[in-house]
Amino acid sequence: MTRNLSLIALAAAFTAGSASAQETLTISVYSFAQDAYKEALYDPFEEICGCELVIETGNSVERMAKIEANADDPVIDLAVISSHDALSLAQKGLLQPIDTSQISSFDRLYPSAQDPIGDNLAVGYTFYASSIVYREDLVSIESWSDLLSDELAGNVSLPNITGTQGPLTLMMLDKAAGGDASDFTGTISAIGQSGDDIVTFYSRSSELAQLMNQEEVIAAPVGRFAWSRFKSSPLPFAWADPVEGQAGGMNVMLLTKGNGNEELAYQLMDYWLSTEVQTRIAEALIDSPANMDVVVSDEVAENLTYGAELINSLNILDPAAIIANRDGWVEQWNTEVIQ
Amino acid sequence: MFLDSREGLALALPAALFTFLVFLVPVAILLSIAFQTDGGAWSFQGYIDFFSKPLNQAVFFRTLKLGVLVAGTAAVIGYAAAFCIVNLPPQARGRIFGLVVLPLMISPVARTYAWIVILGRTGIVNDTIVGLGLSETPIRLLFTETAVFIGLLQLFLPLMIISLVSAMENIPKDVIPAARVLGASWFQVFFRIILPLTREGLVIGGTLVFTGALTAYITPAILGGSKVLMLETLLYQQVNVSNDFVSASVIAMILIVMSFSANLLLKRIASVRR
Repeated sequence: MTRNLSLIALAAAFTAGSASAQETLTISVYSFAQDAYKEALYDPFEEICGCELVIETGNSVERMAKIEANADDPVIDLAVISSHDALSLAQKGLLQPIDTSQISSFDRLYPSAQDPIGDNLAVGYTFYASSIVYREDLVSIESWSDLLSDELAGNVSLPNITGTQGPLTLMMLDKAAGGDASDFTGTISAIGQSGDDIVTFYSRSSELAQLMNQEEVIAAPVGRFAWSRFKSSPLPFAWADPVEGQAGGMNVMLLTKGNGNEELAYQLMDYWLSTEVQTRIAEALIDSPANMDVVVSDEVAENLTYGAELINSLNILDPAAIIANRDGWVEQWNTEVIQ
Repeated sequence: MFLDSREGLALALPAALFTFLVFLVPVAILLSIAFQTDGGAWSFQGYIDFFSKPLNQAVFFRTLKLGVLVAGTAAVIGYAAAFCIVNLPPQARGRIFGLVVLPLMISPVARTYAWIVILGRTGIVNDTIVGLGLSETPIRLLFTETAVFIGLLQLFLPLMIISLVSAMENIPKDVIPAARVLGASWFQVFFRIILPLTREGLVIGGTLVFTGALTAYITPAILGGSKVLMLETLLYQQVNVSNDFVSASVIAMILIVMSFSANLLLKRIASVRR
């Protein structure tokens, strides 16, 4: 009898525990600026929803591999990733369409962020411009083609083809050489011919910042999100405004197919894209806003990819073109450049 | 004090089981990927594909070349250092030996970053070169094979010295003076006395340095970057950038085979000349 009562008590305690257990939402995000994100987004959201956010970080490949490996029983509910990686997941049938009516600020997003990969399978939450950071006391940059000029030989670093900035740099070098930004074969060959003049092909913006602060490199293409690293340096760095314009890209949010946690995921998505949160994230210099209603000071804007004029002028590489050609680019790059 | 076979087995079993389950099984599963086709059939296609690419061939031979060069140079410098250490008075020997061991207590990342300060355009070496008028402008030292070689040598030289000191301490003290008194040159002393009597130390040190140079990741990544790819940096790229686990498994298997081959080769050389 005593044993039966104990079991009933245990079951009751377990049931009560389950009823009061917090709901959880698992999100997969880039690993940078997590402390700032916690303050600007995660903690306030947990207060509102009474839920717990489980944060998974890593590089894009690791995070995509995890989504793919758990396709039958998703462990990630919502992910943020580059638009071409999102398209890659979409092509494998791992995403579900987003019900845009659940996002109250949807109409306030820049048009290019509303359906960046088609079929409402993702929504853009931040833009980034890409241009050339250079030492204005040593050189002036007028064009992307200056990167391969004799004047800068031995003083330039280019992004590796495998990183986000790699294809963007190829696109702008191709444009500067008079190409139509659709075939990078000649551009990769040109980089290969200048291989000895390139200091290194960097993989992370932090690596580049170190090289430029050590004066190993005096000019390199980089994303605007890394500009604050250079701006705060005692060395006179400048952000180029080349005649061909700036390249650009977008990071997007997506929902994994059949994760069963859509309600909470939409709640976070709605909160993240709201003017309030996008402003807070912009002012913390974490990510540039995709919400058109965000207004920040000139000082903050200087560090971001901000404003309709700039965003609409960006040269954005079609995500489908990146996916279709990336293997070929990497193959040629490995053969003609790295070798 | 001798154990019978059952007692010995019982004592060894937990360690053997632990190693088997958490190391050998996962590694075997990982490496088996390189022998399988998409359909699950066994095949060497992964290896054929890997070696058919010029980049992979170049990376393989560069890794092998740097491994041999680092191990060879470490042996030459290591013999000189070890000979010096074993012939010092005990107190000085302890101090010098401590200096040799000290770098092993510092993270390889910190030790490698120090080379950026030394080899950079504004580093000590370039400042000296320009200051002495040997060159008008700083010369490119970072992101070259030379930088990777220097970094790896500095990283693993202590292992060679420790192995050789240990081996050299076992040489009877009066053998070398006796050889010299009998008219042997230092060249003959080294090749006919020191080298034969320290072969075991050379095998251990050579294996440690060669294997370490083959498999070090941080140093080639920082000092060589993407312009001086080695097998380990290529392996990282295949996993974390290309998501190509087949190529990564092939590289892992190549590194394991190279390490075991080096050890077997060195042992063979040692036993043949005994």
